[in-house]
Amino acid sequence: MPHKWGMAVDLDRCTGCEACVVACHSENNIPTVGETEAARGRAMHWIRIERYWEGEFPEVQVKFRPVLCQQCDEAPCEPVCPTYASSHSEDGLNSQIYNRCIGTRYCANACGYNVRFFNFFTPSWDKPLHLQLNPDVSVREGGVMEKCTFCIQRINAGKVSAGIEQRPLLDGEIQPACVQSCTANALVFGDLADPDSTVSKLSKSPRGTKLLEELGTKPKVTYLQRGSWDDSQKR
Amino acid sequence: MTRKSDSSLTDDLLRPVFETSTKFYVTAAVLAVIVAAGFGTWFYQIYWGMGVTGDNWPVFWGLHETNFVFWIGISHAGTLISAILRIVNATWRRPVTRCAEVITAFALMIGAMFPLVHLGRPWLAWWLIPYPSERLLWPNYRSPLVWDFFAINTYLLSSLLFLALPAIPDFALIRDRTTGWRNWLYGKLSLGWQGTPRQWHRLESAMHMMALAIIPIAISVHTIVSFDFSMAVVPMWHSTIFGPYFVVGAIFSGIAALNIVMAIVRRMLHLEKYLQPIHFRNLGKLMLAMSLLWGYFVFNERLVTWYGNTPHEMAALWSTQLGRYSPMFWTMIFCNFILPFPLLTIRKLRSITATVIASCGVVIGMWLERFLIIVPSLSYKGTSYSWGTYLPRWPEIVIFGASFAAMALLYLLFSKFIPIISIWEMKVGQHSKIKVAAQVQESEAAGELV
Amino acid sequence: MDRRNFLKVGALTGASATLTSCGNPEHQMIRFIPEEEIQGGIAIWKPSVCPLCATGCGMLVRVVDGEAEVIRNGKKGLIQMGLARKLEGNPAHPISQGKLCARGQAAIQVTYHPDRIIHPLKRNGVRGSGPFQEITWDEAITILLSQIDGLAAAGSQNALAFLTKPMRGQRQTLISRFMQSYGAPPPMNFDPFGDQVLRRANAHSFGHEQLPTFDIAQSRYVISFGADFLGTWNAAVPQSAGYGEMRQGKPGHRGKFVQVEARMSQTGANADEWVPVNPGTEGVLALGMAHVIVNLKLRPGNLAALAEYTPAEVAKRTGVKTERIERLAREFAENSPAIAIIGGTPLAHTNGMFSALAVNTLNTLSGSMGKPGGISFMPQPGKDAPPGTSFNKFVTEQLASPESPVKALLLHEANPVYGSPSAWRVREALSKIPFIASFGSFIDETSILADLVLPDHSFLESWVDDVPESGAGIAVASVAPPAMRPIHQTRAMPDVLLDVSHRLAKPLQQPLPWKTYEEMLKDSFESISPGADTWNNAIANGGVWGKTGEPGVRPLVPLFPRYSEPEFDGEGVQFPFHFLPYKSQSFLDGSLAHLPWLQELPDVLSTAMWSSWVEVHTETARGLGLVQGDVVEISSTQGKIQAPVLLSPGIAPNVIAMPMGQGHETFTRFASGRGANPISILAPMAEPETGALAWAATRVRISKVDAASKLILFAGGMREHPDDHR
Repeated sequence: MPHKWGMAVDLDRCTGCEACVVACHSENNIPTVGETEAARGRAMHWIRIERYWEGEFPEVQVKFRPVLCQQCDEAPCEPVCPTYASSHSEDGLNSQIYNRCIGTRYCANACGYNVRFFNFFTPSWDKPLHLQLNPDVSVREGGVMEKCTFCIQRINAGKVSAGIEQRPLLDGEIQPACVQSCTANALVFGDLADPDSTVSKLSKSPRGTKLLEELGTKPKVTYLQRGSWDDSQKR
Repeated sequence: MTRKSDSSLTDDLLRPVFETSTKFYVTAAVLAVIVAAGFGTWFYQIYWGMGVTGDNWPVFWGLHETNFVFWIGISHAGTLISAILRIVNATWRRPVTRCAEVITAFALMIGAMFPLVHLGRPWLAWWLIPYPSERLLWPNYRSPLVWDFFAINTYLLSSLLFLALPAIPDFALIRDRTTGWRNWLYGKLSLGWQGTPRQWHRLESAMHMMALAIIPIAISVHTIVSFDFSMAVVPMWHSTIFGPYFVVGAIFSGIAALNIVMAIVRRMLHLEKYLQPIHFRNLGKLMLAMSLLWGYFVFNERLVTWYGNTPHEMAALWSTQLGRYSPMFWTMIFCNFILPFPLLTIRKLRSITATVIASCGVVIGMWLERFLIIVPSLSYKGTSYSWGTYLPRWPEIVIFGASFAAMALLYLLFSKFIPIISIWEMKVGQHSKIKVAAQVQESEAAGELV
Repeated sequence: MDRRNFLKVGALTGASATLTSCGNPEHQMIRFIPEEEIQGGIAIWKPSVCPLCATGCGMLVRVVDGEAEVIRNGKKGLIQMGLARKLEGNPAHPISQGKLCARGQAAIQVTYHPDRIIHPLKRNGVRGSGPFQEITWDEAITILLSQIDGLAAAGSQNALAFLTKPMRGQRQTLISRFMQSYGAPPPMNFDPFGDQVLRRANAHSFGHEQLPTFDIAQSRYVISFGADFLGTWNAAVPQSAGYGEMRQGKPGHRGKFVQVEARMSQTGANADEWVPVNPGTEGVLALGMAHVIVNLKLRPGNLAALAEYTPAEVAKRTGVKTERIERLAREFAENSPAIAIIGGTPLAHTNGMFSALAVNTLNTLSGSMGKPGGISFMPQPGKDAPPGTSFNKFVTEQLASPESPVKALLLHEANPVYGSPSAWRVREALSKIPFIASFGSFIDETSILADLVLPDHSFLESWVDDVPESGAGIAVASVAPPAMRPIHQTRAMPDVLLDVSHRLAKPLQQPLPWKTYEEMLKDSFESISPGADTWNNAIANGGVWGKTGEPGVRPLVPLFPRYSEPEFDGEGVQFPFHFLPYKSQSFLDGSLAHLPWLQELPDVLSTAMWSSWVEVHTETARGLGLVQGDVVEISSTQGKIQAPVLLSPGIAPNVIAMPMGQGHETFTRFASGRGANPISILAPMAEPETGALAWAATRVRISKVDAASKLILFAGGMREHPDDHR
């Protein structure tokens, strides 16, 4: 049975530390665009922590929300790509095939979550920073779209290991870089097609919601709502 | 109205083809420089990357895409006007048709450049052509951009045909008046036209079929361009109104462009006798009708959005009504809806100049409309944390300017290549007027008319 | 993985290397023979320890082969070697528990930084302006030896000084022993933002001069007084892990978290209840809660000692309403185990000791000291280094005499020229010293004054060891061999020190018996835990850890501290705002500003990248006619800086806050000349008992200046509409 990779993000655990953001850059060879380009709005953070203020001083509160590619089942970015660079994989992922991308940026416009990023220039790394590049992940050219892949290289590596050892994949064996580094264990990754996996159970949690669900994209990331002191008191 | 002899008409209309002034060379040179600057900038953009533009996260489309829609829109005037006017047999169309058809052809060519200009990796644009590849990959037919590819190419081919067909007799005319390489060239182009009744009959049927066929093609093209937006779930894009809204807007902007072009041509080529106030008045009336129709679509779109009060659309809406983009919005309303009315309805104000002013307003207003469709929606899409802004930078502005220069240059060169007013159609018009006048005389004489 | 892409990357580096030599045939790239057994394309994981903050997270380094440009025997060439590609937390390590924070993830950029010093340097011009010239290691050691020998020959061994950030583990031991054996004073520790006040308070309250460990996972109630414990304070990684468990790790139990501070921190953003409080009155609030708890007989205690801390009185002084004080107190007492944390800004007032002792009182009252879900202190095996010399004393003495008392200074992991208030005149004090040698990997504001640079390896290329001070309930001693071979011509500082110690003209009184640092580490580990396997297991796993017999906390009776009024620099009217510098999420105290990933990381509350900013309450800003991004001049009695304004609803109206980290004059291409340094304008206020810098005690005024805004925000909504779209 094919896998269906999904994630759960526990907003009650997320502390906004942004370890996931840097881990992702490190794992996926994401370019650092520099001060000038960042000022032009070209920074590429495949996962970002959105921060929302609520209320006014002194009754003020902040909510954090990690946002990454939702790997939608009905991904709006897929039908619009003229060259199939944005397409659906058998494992339920939205694959971005760098070689096929001709850079129309239509997928980025169609994406309701703004999780797609464009290489406005061909990236370069001041030597020897290039030695850090992950050899399992391609380095993209200018004019190509990119986004979170759920660390497809780790998924593939996991499948290969399991295949060599002739055993099924274990729940929690594959961890994208963000999940692995999350200090509060707020991110959970796994196979939604396996009803016993942690992520499957969390996706059915009464605390679970989907981001921008009304768009009809059927995202595969479940957000678990923050708890409140009143809830804790009731127990 | 003085009746012109056929030969003076032919002479007047052929003069620009055979006589070239210094003004022509100077203008052509200046325009050529601007167009060259445009291409230079484009290559600069290809070399360094799309980063030289103002596009960013999340507003990935800006001036280039605005220009794309704008020019494709302009292209609608020509063929639609020409086709519709032919079908309803509006006789005043005769001096106008070729002017219009040429606008269509060139606006389409220029517009069709912009999808290439806006690509991140334009050297791979040929993947949009369906061909059997060894990787068994075809274009994604579900993508509106692929539909654009087919629709625009179809429209371009048919417009060229629609332009070329009625040009045949005029090519023949020039062939008969020239020698040397011109004679050879125009000979080839006129496809052996001799003006036999059979050939005339064939031409008329072909024109009639094309006129009928091109109307649905034209409507479908801009509808398909509108699908680039309405097929994406983006605030204020995802609306069923976009198809007709875009088509109306396209015709609207096309007529305005036609007015401007006609006025320039009239002045530059001294065609005051042929392009008369009545033509501008009639086109003005059409433009006014389009303005009302356009206004209706805009109002409808906004009223429905406002009433629906969907959170994820309201930010985009208010940004155009009261916020960041509101100066542009209200300028657009002024240019498209408020300015044309007094200029085109109040008798005292009506003139060719007034029509041109109103048309310039409309062209500006319609360009703003394209911008306001694209950018505010992308600015206010998704979670509010990820909202953004957009400001164009010099490469986009240079290419924008160069597109206008290219239009002017192509038009200028075309007027040297073939009479800008279709000579044979004018003659037909003259003769049919004479015929009708003669018929009237006969009837009067026969006492059938009072 | 796709071999094609791997080869592409490899070819890219190889090709770019070769292309640089194109047209220069005499500089063809040589390929050196690999110096290690390495299998192509296979990743191996090696342990290490993160050095970027004081937590000491154990990490695992993913090493994959690649081609690096190196210099061997004076020739430049390419070599196939194991290269670190990714850092992860070591799942077996009790501190990191398999996690790393954002800074730990970025640490790999230290090794591959383009501006790293790649060979020894000698000053070749006016001090402080560069330039430096490349020299060999032989030359460098010779120069260093001659200086140290010179001092010994003149009998002025006590004129040698060693300046370092506080180290733990064997590095501190080695430095201390070297200095002591040589006859020099103990090394100076430079750490003005390091919570010395809390350590001393804990010594008074609990007998441990140490930062506490919090068992947050099992706690039911956490109240934090100003401590950014989920971000930059104490052992943030294990504290975050514990926090996650406290919230959702136990079905049916969800702990409550309250944050008390004048400025919303990243930690405070996660609180169920956020309580703003007047600066310097955190201790008053804690004792107010204690008063309520004892008064309501929720815990036994001496009410008389808390007589002046009635809710009404406390409300007046702190700005927190009486009902809230009473409710928080009741919640704290009724939801056991409960933890009160204090750290950061409250300790940085002149009455920081009082506040720390007050919170310690609260903790003692709670009854959670030394229990699960409460507070304990990590056993510290093998920690035998004596206390260091006071940095402030050193600076004062330097400035006092026209002739520099210190004749030779050795610099290691410290940048006091940047990290001190200008009022301390550190640059002036250091400039007097005739000879300065730096072991640092980068030229910064302090190391640029050096006469000699002996660049250390980066941590991935070094033997690393650490004894974490807090974060786990068991004893931990981390150790790891180098994860990769050095890519530059650097040498491990401990090895250099040992080498020098063996070559001194006048041998050390107690010679250091090890040739290399590796030997020293092996020795120390075998002395903690004898057994042949100990060492091998330790270096394979990244250290040793386990329960020791030591009790966590000595039980004590609650101490009720005497009140101390906070003092501020700057009169109320002329300087209307409290100025709160804070350790930024990206750069901490500024020592990490050179890492590009961290410059581009959007600060989570402001979303700012590559920027400096000052947080001003939205209404206050409006009242001053300021809009987002306007540049203001911030003036204290000590000086002024400029920064763009960020409107914030999460800060008290009479407080402005500014992150530390930018404003470097000299610190690699990524940090130099960007933004402003809030530390520079701090007044030299001190906590009386420890002498620690009271960095929250400065008051300032702000005024708009006509300058272009350099505020770069990632969140587009905030760029445009800071009021509407927050």
